[in-house]
Amino acid sequence: MTPLDYLLLLSLLTVVIALVAGHRSMGGVWLTFTYAAQLGGLMLMAGLTNQPDVITSSLSFTILGQSLTWRYDALSWYFALITISAGLLSTMYTAGDWGEKFRADGGNLWLLHVAIALNVLSMLILLGSGDLLTLFIGWELVSWASFLLMILAGGPSIQAAIRYITYAMGGAMAILAGLALIYGHTDSFTYPAAANILHSLSTAHLWAPLLLLTLGFGVKMALLPLHLWQAAAYAHTPGPGAAFLGAISSRMGLYALIVVLIQLVGLVRVIELPVLFSFISARDVLAWVAAFTIIFPTFTALRQNDARMLLAWHGIGQGGYMLLGLVMGDALGSAGGLMHVFNHATYQAALFFSVAAVVYRTGTADLNRLGGLVARMPLSFLAMLVGIIGLAGLPPMNGFVSKWLVYRSLMLEGEPLLFVAAVVGTLGTILSVYKLIHNMFLGQLRVEHENIREAPWSMTAPMLILSVVVFVTGLMPGLVLQWIAGIQATVGLPVIDYSLGGLDSAQGSLDMLWVVGVLFAGFGIGAVLFYSGGRTHRVHQLDNYAGGHFLSADIRYHYSDNFYPGLMRLIGPLYRYSFAWLESAVQSGLGLLSLSTQGFYRRVAPANYALVTAVLVLLWVML
Amino acid sequence: MNQIVLIVVLPLLAAFLVPIVARMSASLGAALGPLVMGVCLWITGTVAIESAGNAFAINIGGFMPPLGITFFVDRLALLFAFLTALLVLVLWPFQGEHRPREHALTLILAAASGGLALSGDLFNIYVFYELVSVASFGLVATGRRSSAPAIRYLILSGFGSVLALVGIALVYTQTGTLNLAHLSQLAPTHLINPIGLAAFALILLGVGVKAELFPVNTWVPEVYATAPNRVSALLAGLVSKLAALVILRLLVLVFAQEQALLVMLLLGLLGVITGELAAWRAQDMNRMLAYSSIGQLGMVFVAFSIPGETGVFAGLAIALHHLVVKPALFLLAARWGGALSGLAGAAGGNLPAALLFTLFALSLVGVPPLPGFWAKLLLVMGLAEQVGPLYHFALAGILIATVVEANYLFRIVSTLFHRDSPASPAPQKHSGGDIATAGLFGASLIAAVLLLIPLSQSLKTIAQQTADAAAYRAVVTLAPTTSTLGDTQ
Repeated sequence: MTPLDYLLLLSLLTVVIALVAGHRSMGGVWLTFTYAAQLGGLMLMAGLTNQPDVITSSLSFTILGQSLTWRYDALSWYFALITISAGLLSTMYTAGDWGEKFRADGGNLWLLHVAIALNVLSMLILLGSGDLLTLFIGWELVSWASFLLMILAGGPSIQAAIRYITYAMGGAMAILAGLALIYGHTDSFTYPAAANILHSLSTAHLWAPLLLLTLGFGVKMALLPLHLWQAAAYAHTPGPGAAFLGAISSRMGLYALIVVLIQLVGLVRVIELPVLFSFISARDVLAWVAAFTIIFPTFTALRQNDARMLLAWHGIGQGGYMLLGLVMGDALGSAGGLMHVFNHATYQAALFFSVAAVVYRTGTADLNRLGGLVARMPLSFLAMLVGIIGLAGLPPMNGFVSKWLVYRSLMLEGEPLLFVAAVVGTLGTILSVYKLIHNMFLGQLRVEHENIREAPWSMTAPMLILSVVVFVTGLMPGLVLQWIAGIQATVGLPVIDYSLGGLDSAQGSLDMLWVVGVLFAGFGIGAVLFYSGGRTHRVHQLDNYAGGHFLSADIRYHYSDNFYPGLMRLIGPLYRYSFAWLESAVQSGLGLLSLSTQGFYRRVAPANYALVTAVLVLLWVML
Repeated sequence: MNQIVLIVVLPLLAAFLVPIVARMSASLGAALGPLVMGVCLWITGTVAIESAGNAFAINIGGFMPPLGITFFVDRLALLFAFLTALLVLVLWPFQGEHRPREHALTLILAAASGGLALSGDLFNIYVFYELVSVASFGLVATGRRSSAPAIRYLILSGFGSVLALVGIALVYTQTGTLNLAHLSQLAPTHLINPIGLAAFALILLGVGVKAELFPVNTWVPEVYATAPNRVSALLAGLVSKLAALVILRLLVLVFAQEQALLVMLLLGLLGVITGELAAWRAQDMNRMLAYSSIGQLGMVFVAFSIPGETGVFAGLAIALHHLVVKPALFLLAARWGGALSGLAGAAGGNLPAALLFTLFALSLVGVPPLPGFWAKLLLVMGLAEQVGPLYHFALAGILIATVVEANYLFRIVSTLFHRDSPASPAPQKHSGGDIATAGLFGASLIAAVLLLIPLSQSLKTIAQQTADAAAYRAVVTLAPTTSTLGDTQ
């Protein structure tokens, strides 16, 4: 028994407990402990982050002449850490009052627990894949486990989940085709054999498997133009489920892409690989796909009027930063991309938790039906504030560090256009997260929300834990960067030269301890000025005065709809919804084909086909 | 080991006895059929154990090949003989209106199917094939709404028989024999030519009618939608596989030429694409299952068109998987007729049925670790190893069809579990027998996951034996055992 066996068994045990006790009122608490135990199991393997080493599982099969093996390295460990933590906090969130209310509203709490446990287990299996076949099997398991989590709420989630599984199956089949091409050359699914053959393939032959695998794994990452499924599918998942999916689910695509692009093909080859009949390379294509994945979904998020949809669209955009950093391939960029996985998981989960808390209290996530909740739900506000600063990539939160690394890398690598694209994306993020927090927590309180209280501690605790993590890893990015350095050493990337406060190297230096210190010194001076200024007078939140009038509660002055009208007048015509149009065109085309095939089968005189075919075949034989 | 002949003789005999016995004692008449099938099952089992996997041939009446009637018994033949008896027993029409007639027809179908699995010469294959046709017309026509589709089936099937007969005649004019082993010897000199290819194409189209081969499968949707569901289950599960088995034998032994494989590949691929596409827009469950069945059979043909043992292995895996899944789905569809939208929330009334449907759908789509995944993986690996662009094209077609398949199957699954549907009349409950039988199929699917490694190994052995034409010839011509049993034909 190796530590990996313990981890997988613990995860399996969690699924069993969820199956047996998921419907009990204490089930969530027990599950929280088993996730904590999984985290403990993972810590047994913490040594992986220091040296390029692997821990194999004693579980292995030989089937159809192929051997299936599972093993963990620094990369798997890092993703597993995020996965289990997301499962832990989501279950903790579900375990208390949220779950009770979910059940009372007719939700299937048991299935939610089971689905999250299955998701964690399948992701841990995927992250341990030791050859291409186990990679595919793990991939499919993850896809279908997510499908279960997405569809269990019923209602509008069904449509979204079906759309997801169609995209996911399309991706899986593209992967299978890519694997088949590799298998056709080697008769084997092992990583070394695949790496060998991928190294020796000519440019033209490398493109097909590379494209298929990138497309397939890109579906889960929601890379453009395969992104349409994600936002609705995540947003309609019940609160903690959405937080879990938003935190880690689509990063499985990034994990698989790292395995293929960096470990098997090698980033050097990707950088050199030319697009036929042009002057750009495969790396440029990937980088620009990532850049567009940042821009379009982020600006789509700007137009959302549902808090969950807004966050889910941002989840797609932030995935673009990860890929962009990664394909830069230098120490800074890849570190930024990888670190952003952790950072995004922490603040995104905090944001989803905060929104779910507001939904729990008010019953809506509609950005036009909220406002002024800051005094009612201060802890949720705090979590959201920390979260959006992280999401926007501003100091002192962790999102700033990873984005800074990516920007720095783009400049060093001489990619000014990509840099501009990334900054445009960040601009859209800042605008839309302001809309989010303004419409929910700032401005006018609605009368019906006057008596709302803060969410119970079982819900605030997970978001506060995450807020602390977001801040602490922003203050001391070295905590995360040590894992990143371990990954870079393992997968064969240049290793970042980090320090506790950030990095200190020839390519640039960043010390967040100083940045945060200066920032808080500024805040301190401001606070001193504010509080020493003299008398303050507290009024009720509904007691307002503006423009020479008393504003009573029945006068609505909270502008939430048609946010940023000036900006929209400028960029509004650019929203063409071309991808949605493309998708519906494919669907209609398929429908047409389908109808015509049915027409074929419905013909009244069936023997004609046989006759015609027989004659045709005979003609072919004779000629 | 000669008692294997009994699996053809006994059901035929019983088929003629059933109406008489039923007149004397209704309960005895009802029990006769299942009893006989049980005996067949037992005989096949004992022969399988006795032969220990070695192939042997039986020359009925003691005439030496190529003159006499030959039964060839290898692992594959025994497997299908066993599955025939098992499936007929499991899908036995216990609750029919026209009992004795239905029982007799089912017994004839069982006898002829066993004969198809065992026959070692083309003439016998043709005879048993016709017998299968006759029995299946009768069974299809027992449905209340199925007279028009049954006639359509009859016309197409009759036309197919004519084509097959012409093909067989062509073979005979070229070689002067119909014994498969003998043909296999003569094929390199007499049949690897355009005339041989034409003969193969004609036989393929003829036998393909039952095997749901594109484009002679236009009877499938209507017949499966209107026939009693147990009959649809038998036709889709068993008869189509036996027809495919016949084509496989011919391909391995007689027509092992590139163009023959090419024809199969093309028609199979067209079957996959048209079947899955048509299923995408199907309006009721029976038709959807019928179209999906066309797609799955198309995959079997694509697999068989891969030369050598790999293709046989993959094709058998897909065929066997479909043989388990599709009958069960047809049983579940028995009470889920009408428009698909009418099924909203059907899981509330019958959770086990909905869960079973989900399990079968997952396996059909090929979700690991269910058997459907491994079968599809074998096919993908087999196609990937081939060099021709057409094989890669077929691979792409099959993978795209799988996406379509996932979409429509899970649209239905979500409809079944859709809770907040408007108050619509709840679908009828399933009969206990249907659920139990479908549960049995589901259990065997799960068991197959647990026994995956030994199962895949034994299937590989079967495929090796099947793909070895030289061994077939050696068994038939070198080891003649005589039998005093007369043929009952």
